[in-house]
Amino acid sequence: MSTLERSPALPLDFNLPNETEEIQGRDGKTYLQFTTHMVTFYKQTYGEHSRFFMALREARLIGSRCPKCRQVAVPAATWHCPACNFVEMEEVELGDRGVLAAQAPITIFPSASFIGQAPFCRGYVDVATDAPAASYLPSRLRTTTGLERPGIFVKGVELKLVFKDERAGSITDIFWVPVSELSREQLDKKPLLESHLNFATPKPPAVTVTEEARGELVQAIAAMRDLAAMAQESPRAQADLAGRAHVIGVKTGGGDFALFIKDRRMRIEEGIPRKPDLVIVAADPKVFSAWVADGSLTDAAVEGALWLPDRNAFQLLPILDRLPRSTRRDMGQPNLLRR
Amino acid sequence: MNKVGIVGAGITDCRGRWVEATYWDLFQQATRAALADAQMTADECDSVVYGIYNDIFEHQAIPESSLTGWIGMTNKPGTRVTSGGATGFYAMRTAIMEVASGMSEVVLCAGGEKATDCFDPRSKTATPMVIDTIAKSWDPFYEYPLGATASDSYMQLCMGYNDSYPNDIGDSMVRAKIIEILNHAGNRNPYAQRRDETVTCEQVLASRWIIAPFLRLLEVCMYTEGAGAVIFANEKKAHEISERTGKPILWVKGVGAANESYGAGRGSFYKPLDRIVSDHLAAYRAYEMAGVKPSDIQLIELHDAFVAQLMITMGEMGFVPMGRTRNLIDEGVMVDPRDLRDDEMPPKGKLLVNPSGGLIFGGHFVGGSNMFSMWSCRREMINRKAPLGLVHGTGGINAVFGGAIVVELDEGGAR
Repeated sequence: MSTLERSPALPLDFNLPNETEEIQGRDGKTYLQFTTHMVTFYKQTYGEHSRFFMALREARLIGSRCPKCRQVAVPAATWHCPACNFVEMEEVELGDRGVLAAQAPITIFPSASFIGQAPFCRGYVDVATDAPAASYLPSRLRTTTGLERPGIFVKGVELKLVFKDERAGSITDIFWVPVSELSREQLDKKPLLESHLNFATPKPPAVTVTEEARGELVQAIAAMRDLAAMAQESPRAQADLAGRAHVIGVKTGGGDFALFIKDRRMRIEEGIPRKPDLVIVAADPKVFSAWVADGSLTDAAVEGALWLPDRNAFQLLPILDRLPRSTRRDMGQPNLLRR
Repeated sequence: MNKVGIVGAGITDCRGRWVEATYWDLFQQATRAALADAQMTADECDSVVYGIYNDIFEHQAIPESSLTGWIGMTNKPGTRVTSGGATGFYAMRTAIMEVASGMSEVVLCAGGEKATDCFDPRSKTATPMVIDTIAKSWDPFYEYPLGATASDSYMQLCMGYNDSYPNDIGDSMVRAKIIEILNHAGNRNPYAQRRDETVTCEQVLASRWIIAPFLRLLEVCMYTEGAGAVIFANEKKAHEISERTGKPILWVKGVGAANESYGAGRGSFYKPLDRIVSDHLAAYRAYEMAGVKPSDIQLIELHDAFVAQLMITMGEMGFVPMGRTRNLIDEGVMVDPRDLRDDEMPPKGKLLVNPSGGLIFGGHFVGGSNMFSMWSCRREMINRKAPLGLVHGTGGINAVFGGAIVVELDEGGAR
């Protein structure tokens, strides 16, 4: 039994106390609202889709092919071709290579059931590339080079199918990674399993140090030190930093520095200490001046200007993003626009 | 087919949340407004068509059943229509068919949504639960478990379009300028959810990403609670009511609809990712039925879920070339309503798009959003004496549902 199957269908913290509360209307009158829910549990059959999901459990990808028009449905969502008067389709085993059909969106604001998974990338993969027509397989897309970011999952990128080690019979049993990230040995593996890949310790991208960027880093560090000083005077910023302890190493095109957060203080030092909690990378040091000027490190990560190793790093950014806003609100400074 | 006229329309105030009213009262408010506009009583309606998108929002599996009596439709035929984002359009299409067939003389078409009573226990806010409820529009086997959201769905198409037609929707400044125009439009709509807001290009460009690189926070439509109603009548009744009200009839000249396949793919019947074929087919079917060309139409109320999608839809409907939808701004095709008097049409070759503020500034109560658009289209056509107008609706995963209605102002104006 996998841990996935043992966890409750509805997470236990996904609940609200039963209550009826007063709420103010726009008209100044008092109204009532009550807590309620519309939860339905299912033992939903996969029915005609069962063959597809059973194949996934066996680490095989199947589709259905029309004997007349040769179009391939993958997933095998139907067994009768709608284009050929519903002629019966035949099972076809597909390979583990695909091509991304279009640039794929990266979700950073997930719906309630997927909070904690963001950011994640989902896209449409053309698997039956030899067929004259084919459906695309909607799939999760992952990279071994840090967090999913723009520029990786673009149209036409070649992908290799990866199976999770434990498979329940779900579309999330599989995902795809770019072929360019894999070794010959990994490419030859059939099936390639998640445990064959290293997602835990991605290699930070190399940055070239330039004189221009050096000057920009000096300015960025000065701006961050001003922010750190103001944060000490700002009750809101103090609340943002409460209970946090992080050593964040930062590599930039202007050189390295580190953000130390401890005892409700932020400190900026040049260089990266020996064992930082994490290392993030931005070729352009202006990412950090923009952050201080009420910009957003989250936006820089979303745009791909700031490299992050993992999801935990992403969860840290909203806290850092709050600091300039908190200090501004407490210090009464005008809203400095980023651009 | 019998002639079908629009003789009255009404909407509620568009709000992020109505704590003062449930969907029962919102539907009643819209019905009352439409009947008052047509100077009618509910008795004069032969039947009703309801547009309600999602049972989970209303928190009732047959939400229309509880409305029947409260909106004065007791013992009359009632049909509920639900077709995702295009629910409002399909409800109006159903009402039009009822009148066109001769089955009914006067039909009330009312749609609305109560979306933001939803509440996410973890974030203690409404939005993630609203998004989750909409995400239930995806199938439970393949798409929902991947974490698909409505924003992803539209952005997937925008990204696909951008792959095939680069250097068009990708210019953030072009999109921001469209937002400014829509903002000015919303300022003139007394029912608009964001009627008091001022949004500048700079603010759009500085707003947080929802999905890079085509969707910032200020480029997204809203969740709205509200309702809208439109009254359709046959030729005899339409003239009778128009004489009573002194307001000109809007004749339904063309209705087009198309739903693409759910499954995305390459070739055959599959949904292409670089087009909104449903919008194209729906609009051109409506033009053909109406005997008009896109160049005959200068007033458009378009279902703008997101600005980049507005641009693609304008291309698909033939108002700007595909791949050059940025002409809306670059060539000044889309006029700012601030540059026109309230009774003035744009000059030839220019278009008034979403004078209501659209779904981005006006409101987006899903089941009735297209009635909101029809309400605005009628208001503007009467005020500006516009001969033709177009109302568009879209919806479904990857925008697979498309609908368009061409309306014509009665030649006699007020009789």
